[in-house]
Amino acid sequence: MNKLIILLAFSCLTIGALHAQNPTFSPSTYTAEDQVTLTVDVTGTPMAGEAEAYIWIFSNTSIDRSNAALSAQYPAADGSTNTNWTNSPPEAKMTAAGTNKWSFTFIGTQIFGQSPAQLKDFGFLVKTKTGTKQTSDYKPNFFDPLVFTPTMLRVFPAKVSTSDIVTINFDRSLGGTVNEQRMTPVSATVTAYDETNAQIGTAVTLQVRVFATNTWAATFIPTRHFTPGAGHQLTKFRYKFNGTVLDISGATVNVSSAEQEVTFTRMN
Amino acid sequence: MKKNSRRLLILLAAIVTLNACRPDKFEDTGAVRNVKTSLGGTWKLSKVTQKDEDAAQKGFPYSILDLTTLFPYTDYSITLNVTNSGQTTTFTTTPGNSPTVIAVANGDWNAGPSQYPTYLAFKQGSATDTLTLGSYPAGGRNVLQLKKERRDASTGKLLVSYTYEFTKQ
Repeated sequence: MNKLIILLAFSCLTIGALHAQNPTFSPSTYTAEDQVTLTVDVTGTPMAGEAEAYIWIFSNTSIDRSNAALSAQYPAADGSTNTNWTNSPPEAKMTAAGTNKWSFTFIGTQIFGQSPAQLKDFGFLVKTKTGTKQTSDYKPNFFDPLVFTPTMLRVFPAKVSTSDIVTINFDRSLGGTVNEQRMTPVSATVTAYDETNAQIGTAVTLQVRVFATNTWAATFIPTRHFTPGAGHQLTKFRYKFNGTVLDISGATVNVSSAEQEVTFTRMN
Repeated sequence: MKKNSRRLLILLAAIVTLNACRPDKFEDTGAVRNVKTSLGGTWKLSKVTQKDEDAAQKGFPYSILDLTTLFPYTDYSITLNVTNSGQTTTFTTTPGNSPTVIAVANGDWNAGPSQYPTYLAFKQGSATDTLTLGSYPAGGRNVLQLKKERRDASTGKLLVSYTYEFTKQ
C-alpha cells in the first residue's frame, strides 16, 4: 500500500514537472499596454548552451488568416526588433536569467506598433544573432483584454481639459442605491474647484437629455461656466444628477445621485 | 503565283504586328491641380464630432460623440482667401454662438507642405492654430474636413480629437 502511495506521488510530481510553464511571464497577466518580462528556458533546444540569445517576436499568431474580418481586426506584425534575421540588432538581445534561461522585457503596443484593440496575442522564438540556431515558436501568448468597465457616472471623453466639450453621463441601471436605480434625472449639478480646493463661483445646473435607454447626459464647456480668481486655475469639477422618485404614498420626492470628482488633464 | 501570295501574306502579317507594337498615345493630363486654390472660398461648419482617441485605441465603446446639435456649431463659417495663382493670403471667421473652432479669429493662413498640403495653419499676430487636413474638396465634393488634435501636455499622447466638416457656400 505504501509503495502504491509513493508511486502515485512520484507520478504526480513527474506530470507536474512536465507541465511546468515555459515561458513564464512577469506579471503573470498583462495587457498590450503593460510592460511584461518573459523568461524562457531553452534547455533541450538547439539554443541550449549558447552564450548569447536574441528574440524574434511577432503578433497575433492565433488568428485564423482565412477569416478576413478577424485578419483585418488583428493584423499580423513583426516586432520592431525583427530587423534582420541574419544580424539581429542589439535591441533584440535577451538578458541571461540562469543556465539556458533568457528574459526579455517589452510593451506590446510599442514593440508591435499596434493599438491594444489590434493585439490579441504574440509569439516568439529565441535565436543566435546570425540565425544559424533557433528554438521553435513559443506561441500563442495572450494579452489580457483591456476591459471597459461600465459605471453609473461616466465622463466623455475619459480625459478632459478645461476647454474641452465635456459630457457627463448617468446610467440608472448601474445605480448603487434604490433612489439611483429609480430616479428619472431632470438636471445635473456641476461645481468647479481651483488648485487650493476652493469652489469657483456657484454651482451650475445643466439640463439633461436622454442618451440611451436608462442613460441621461448633459454637456458643457468648463471655461464657459467657471472663471477662476486671478492667479488661480480651474483644476477639477464635481457633478451629480438630480431627479425625482415617487414615495410610498405616490408623492414626488427630489433625489440626487452620488457625486463624482474629475480632475482636468493639461492638454496642448 | 502561290509563292507570291504567301509572301504577300507574310508581309501583311509583319505590317500588322509592327503596327501593334507602336506605343499608344496618351493625352496630356494637363497642369498639376493646385490644391490651395480649391481650398479658397467661404466654408460653413456642417458637422462636428468628438473622439476619445484613447478609448478608440483600446476598442472601448463610447469613443465618438456627434456634437453638431449640442452647440450652435453651424453658426460658424470661415473664409479662406487665395490669389488666382493659388497663394494663400488672409482668412476671416464668423463664429456666431459656436464654441471655439479655430483659436484665432482672423489673420493669415497657410497650407503645408507646399504642393499636397496635410495641414492648415491659421496665424493672428504671434498666435497660430494648426489643424490637420482630412480631405481635399476635390471634384464635385465641396466638403472640407479639418481635425484638431488634443494631446497630453506632459506625455504628448493623443487623447481627444475634434473633426470639423465644412461645406462650401
